[in-house]
Order: sequence, then C-alpha cells, then structure tokens
Amino acid sequence: MNNQNVFMIGWEYPPHNSGGLGVACKGLTEALSQDQTTIQFALPYHFSQGVDHMKIISCVDPTWEERLGQKVLYPPFASYSSDGVIRSFVTAKDSLSPEKLRLLPHSELEQRVQEYARVIGSRSGSIEKHTDVIHAHDWMSFPAAQTLKKKTGKPFIAHVHSTEYDRAGLNQGNHFISHIEHEGMTQADRVIAVSYYTKSLLVNKYGIDAQKIDVAHNGASSPESQPNPGNHHFAQKRPVVVFMGRLTLHKGVQYFIQLAQSVLASIPNALFIVAGSGDMYHELLLTSATRHLSASVLFSGFVRSEQRDTLLDRADVFVMPSISEPFGLVAVEAAQRHTPVIISKNAGVSEVLHGAVALDFWDLDKMTTAIKELILDPNHSRKVVSNQLNDLEHITWGNAATKVKQSYLRAILGK
Amino acid sequence: MPKVCFYFQLHQPYRLADISVFDVGTGTDYFSGVGKKNQADDNKEIFLKVAEKSYRPMLTLLLKLVKKHSDFYFSMSLSGVFLEQVEAYAPDLIPILKKLAKSRQVEFLAETYYHSLAALYSPTEFKKQVQQHSDILFNLLGARPSAFRNTELIFNNDIAQLVEELGYAGMLTEGVDRYLWGRKRTVPYIAKTKYQLPVLLKHAQLSDDVAFRFSEKSWPAWPLTVKQYLEWIEVYPEEEIVNLFMDFETFGEHQWADTGIFTFFEAFVAAFLQKKWNRFVTPTQIFTPVCDRKIKKNCLDKSKLDTYDVVEPISWADVDRDITAWRDNPYQIDTLEIMYDMESRVLLSNDAELVNDWRRLQTSDHFYYMCTKWAADGDVHAYFSPYSDPHEAYRRFTIALADLQERLL
Repeated sequence: MNNQNVFMIGWEYPPHNSGGLGVACKGLTEALSQDQTTIQFALPYHFSQGVDHMKIISCVDPTWEERLGQKVLYPPFASYSSDGVIRSFVTAKDSLSPEKLRLLPHSELEQRVQEYARVIGSRSGSIEKHTDVIHAHDWMSFPAAQTLKKKTGKPFIAHVHSTEYDRAGLNQGNHFISHIEHEGMTQADRVIAVSYYTKSLLVNKYGIDAQKIDVAHNGASSPESQPNPGNHHFAQKRPVVVFMGRLTLHKGVQYFIQLAQSVLASIPNALFIVAGSGDMYHELLLTSATRHLSASVLFSGFVRSEQRDTLLDRADVFVMPSISEPFGLVAVEAAQRHTPVIISKNAGVSEVLHGAVALDFWDLDKMTTAIKELILDPNHSRKVVSNQLNDLEHITWGNAATKVKQSYLRAILGK
Repeated sequence: MPKVCFYFQLHQPYRLADISVFDVGTGTDYFSGVGKKNQADDNKEIFLKVAEKSYRPMLTLLLKLVKKHSDFYFSMSLSGVFLEQVEAYAPDLIPILKKLAKSRQVEFLAETYYHSLAALYSPTEFKKQVQQHSDILFNLLGARPSAFRNTELIFNNDIAQLVEELGYAGMLTEGVDRYLWGRKRTVPYIAKTKYQLPVLLKHAQLSDDVAFRFSEKSWPAWPLTVKQYLEWIEVYPEEEIVNLFMDFETFGEHQWADTGIFTFFEAFVAAFLQKKWNRFVTPTQIFTPVCDRKIKKNCLDKSKLDTYDVVEPISWADVDRDITAWRDNPYQIDTLEIMYDMESRVLLSNDAELVNDWRRLQTSDHFYYMCTKWAADGDVHAYFSPYSDPHEAYRRFTIALADLQERLL
C-alpha cells in the first residue's frame, strides 16, 4: 500500500511558463517518484520535452486545433469572434499560465476548464486501471478531478497552491473561480494546503473542514548556479533592497515603495529595485515619481533565470511584504543566495524559514527599522543569513513528498 | 507683400539605449549601449536614416538656391548634439554647412548646446550651454550667432532677460493667441526685459501649412500649390514679416520626397523672388539692420514696438503652445528636478565624461518621450518616440539617473 499509482492533473509544467505552480509540480513529482510513487501527469497542451521520472499525458482534444480558424456558426464557439471564426479557443500548442487564464472573459475561462475536464473524463477507462489516487493541482484542474472521481470512484486530492482570496488581494476576486475552488475542495477526499496560513484561509474563508486538510510545505530545489553573494555585480557603492514578484496588490509591492521612502529618509543612498511585471506597474511608476523617488526606486521588469540569480546575489536585503502569500518560494531562493529576507507574517514560507525576519505587512515602521538594521549592521545581517541557511536543510521536496504520501494513504483508507 | 523670414531647426537627441538596472555602476554608455551585449547604436541608425531622407537632400537644395539667388536669405539653428552627430555619423554634411555659412546669406542662430530646458531650471547652466553652443558653431563653421532661439521656442519674460544679458540682439518664439489678444504676429515685439529685447513671433498657421499639413489629403487646400501659398502670404503688407519657423526634417522626413515637398520649396523661393519688392530676411537683419549698426540710426525703433509680456513659459509645441509636452506629469517633474538638483555635485566632480552625460540627459526630447498627453498631441509624441510608451521612457531615464548618482558617490 506504500507505493501508489497517482494520476496527477496539472495545468503547466516547466519549461512552459515560469509560474510557481509548474515549478512546484516539478519539485514534488521528482521527489515522489524517488519515493517509489508512479505518476501519470496530465497537461492541457502538447508537451514534447522528455521527462524521465513520470509519464506526461497531453490531454488535448484533436478537434481543438481543427476548430481553430474554422468557421462555426453554432454556439458556444460563435461568440468568440464577430465573424464566427475561432481564434482564441483552447490552443493545444501553448500553455496558458494561471495568471493569464484568470483574466480571460468568464465564458472562455469556464470553457477552457470544462473542456479540460471533458477530455480527461473521456479517458477515464484507461486511466482507471493504473490509478489508486487522483491528485489535482489548483482550481483549473479540480473540475477534471471531480469528473474522473465520479467515473472511476478513485479518491481525489485537491492540492491548493494558492487561492482566489490570495490573488484578489483586497479586491473581491473572481466569484466563479472561488466557486470552483469551494466545489472542488468539498468534493475532494483530502485537501493539501501549502502552508498552515493557507489551511486557515481554507477553513475560515471557504468553510472547509479542518480535519480534511493536510499541510505539505513546498520544498525548494537547489539553485542552478552557485550563490555568489556580494556587491561586485552592479551598483557597488550603495545598499540594494530588492522586491521580486508579480506587481499585484496581494504581493504588497505598493508597501515596498512606501518602505523605500521611509528608509531613504535616513539612508539616502539606498537603491530599491522592483523586479517583476503585473497590473500595478504603471501605478507604481507614478507613485514612485510622485514621491520624488525616481532615482532611488528602479524597475527592472520581469527577470529571467540568470538575472534573477544576479539580483538575489546582489541584494543586501530582500523584502516580501505580501498581503497574502500561500507560500512564497522566492524568499527561499533569496535565502539560498545568502541574502537576508524580511517576510510578511501572512506568507506561508514564514512557517519554515524561521531565520528570516517576519513582520506584519502593514507595520511599515517595523519593516523600515528591520531594513535599516540589516543594511547598517553587518553582524546582524550575517546572523540572519546563517540562520536561514540552516532552515534550508528542512525545506526540501523530499519532506513535502512524505507529507503528500501520508495524505494519499488517508484518502485511500478513507480516513 | 511682406518680408519672409525662414528658420529651420536641426536637432537629434542622444536617445537612451536599452540600459537595465544591471548596468548601474558598470560604466555602460547610456546612449550607445557600449559595454552591453548585442546592443546596436540606434542613434547612429536613426541619424543616418534622417540624413539620407532629409539633411543631405535639403542642405544640398538650400546651397543650390543660395548660389542661384543672391537675395535668398534664411536662418537655421543646429543644436550642439546635432553637430556632434553630424561629425560622427555624416561628416560629408560639414562642407555643405561650411559653404552655407560662408555665403553670408544664411544666419546661424544661438541655442543651448544640449537642446535643454536649462532656462527653466538653472540660469548658470543655461548660460554655459549657450556659450558652448556658440563655440562649436564658431569652431566648426566659423559662425558666431547674434540672434537666439531657445529649445522648442520656449519663452517667457525671465528667459528673455537671460538672453538679453548674454548680449543677443533678439530672439525668436511662438505667437500665442492668449498673449497676443488680437495683435499681429507679423511685426516685431519687445520682451519685458531691462533693455527691451526684440522678439519675432512664429506664424503658426502658415508654418504648419507646410510643416504638418502639406501632405494631409483631408486638408481642403491639398495639394498645396506655390500660387496658393503665395496668395496667403501676400495678404500681409510690405512692412510686416511672415515668420516661417519649422523643423528642418519637414523636408524629406516628416513630409517625404514623394509628397513633392522639395520641388514645392524650390519653386516657392523662385516665385517669391520673381517680384522685385519681395524680400527674404533673417532675424538679425530685423533686429539690427547691418548698414546702420555703427551710427545707430534707423535701427529698429523699439519705442514703436508693442510688448510681448509672457509670464508663464510658452513654446511652439502641441495645441496649447505651453511647456506641458516636457513638464506636466510626475515622471517629467521628478526626473527634471532630480537632475537639476545634481548640478553642483556634478560640476564639482571635475569629471568631464560625467558632466557630458549629465548634460546629454538634459536634452528636452527625453522628457517629451515621457509625456502622457493623449489625442492629437499624443499621436505626435508617439511618432517621435523611440520607446514603446512614456512609461518605458521614464523607466530607462531613472536608471540613467541612478547611475549618475552612483558615479557621484
């Protein structure tokens, strides 16, 4: 009973998109497969890269491509363009990140998710034979998992990497998505949350039974390049404070600009770098200019692998003032690159990265003091870095896999 | 028939290369991107393109016209950064410019070397840049300017005062209705300065008929004929001056050769001069008639001129003819303020390269690209901008500012 056959339903997988979900799926499946779990991994697009540790199944409907560019005069497809030609239908060639999916018109979003469920459901016969448990990652996959559970009777585990509540920040969010999330978790036999913080959200905001939720903190793969901390990269003459993440409300990036202003009052040479892209970009630029920070807050745009490492290597302080963050892998990456981290208490990663400075995102005074201390007191900074490095030993995908397997057992045994 | 005074502006900025935060403190050149991987010099590319389409054919045409008609006069202004780029990218234009300078039929106007907004921020920096510009004109073309035009014809009483203190005979600016309240724009005015600096005002309507509307097919007067244009000019009496001020790139770049702009201009000059009483003039001929300079008789009689009293700065740009193209939104206001706040520290550094970079960043175009105005004005801004949008113009500029600060540490 220890070596299960898992049918996993994902949405993206590296190298397609660099979203946190794909990265987490990679880390987790690699660790599970080392731990004698056999995995079939479904994706809603053609995946041609070779993956050794599991079998990837592209769950695409051959008619998706045929229908693309075709004239169809019957609903629901006709609504996608005025001339009846389908342009934006599920394209089997490309993956679509959850962030972009979320911003689609409601009807298209719903259709994409339902089509995925339909295609997977249509294969239930062959899936059933080799499957002990169904494991679905985030809301996009929940309807597919529900369909499969109904057809096969296999237990379904809903893995929550982030919730609509996190993504919406202080806004309302998308009701359709939160409905799918709620429905999925209600139908699921077990729910896995990536942190206790997320678990409490699921209990308090979604009304899910706490007994049903297991917590499996994300792990972190070891960095692809050797950490090379220090100020020899760029901007050598001034302290550098970095924010890295999507520029959206729930990441608290607006607080980062406020922190810049208050830190600069006493450390005028400090340089603040905002790395990432997102819907708040223009607003942040304007805020920065309005607050007379044009030469002190710089925007790098979205940074890719090598630049990402350089930026984290260079940073004297990494700040993650998230309003709501299910986990927050980038804080672990900063720690791996020997950079002291200040994290919001509303970030799941604070439960495992004990050495980092954890503060309330809204307490700008304390945040300011913490940044200044890390800049001005090298001993303090070194101590934080070394404590963080100790924490990293436990933040592994192996640990996550162990927890996930326990969850499988509970689901199978109906506990 | 009035006198016609032509003034053409030649200017190209040093646009910012695709510099990134990772370039801060690494010695990367802001403008050419030298020091970065796979970075082409866009400024060179653009300059060569415009030289091919406009500078070379139009300068050649002007030289031809000057030789052909001994009574064809015009003025032009070449920014210092333009001249630098001529030397670097299209040195074959230098002999043509020299011949024009030698002809005594062409007046070269004074301006700030960097085509900057220094007049609005730092009188001392402004005066230095005007001097630097005067020097390059003299060293390169042997011409010392005696009349002044400020960047984008930006003007107000304070700026006029600065120009007067520098000893210029007069200056050019835009004729703005809200300061003219019905008065003519075809006569000289005096500025509200200590010694009543004379001022010539651009005739926007007739200038823009050529500069902007020439190839506009929806314009009722399209296609514009020489006969029609002369008729419009002939409305004005002999003692008045029609000041036709425009970008030099009007010829061949804004209006392509296939619109007939070159033949139109050539034919216009010939047709205008066919009538004996018609005269082309340059600004200094108006400000200080040469023959009377020493005896100071029959000079411009300032006591007969009206005052052009302008408190808030005006310019020749956009619908409002104000300075909101360069200083309006927080991007522009903050970057300008930070840059001019650095003045004393930059100059004290005694680092010639640093000073030069700081001054190149002062070129008004950088702030023009950050403009977030919309509609027709926005279209014009977008046409000229090398960046995807004003936000990108701001983002890159802040990186250059941060690097300047790093170099000062």
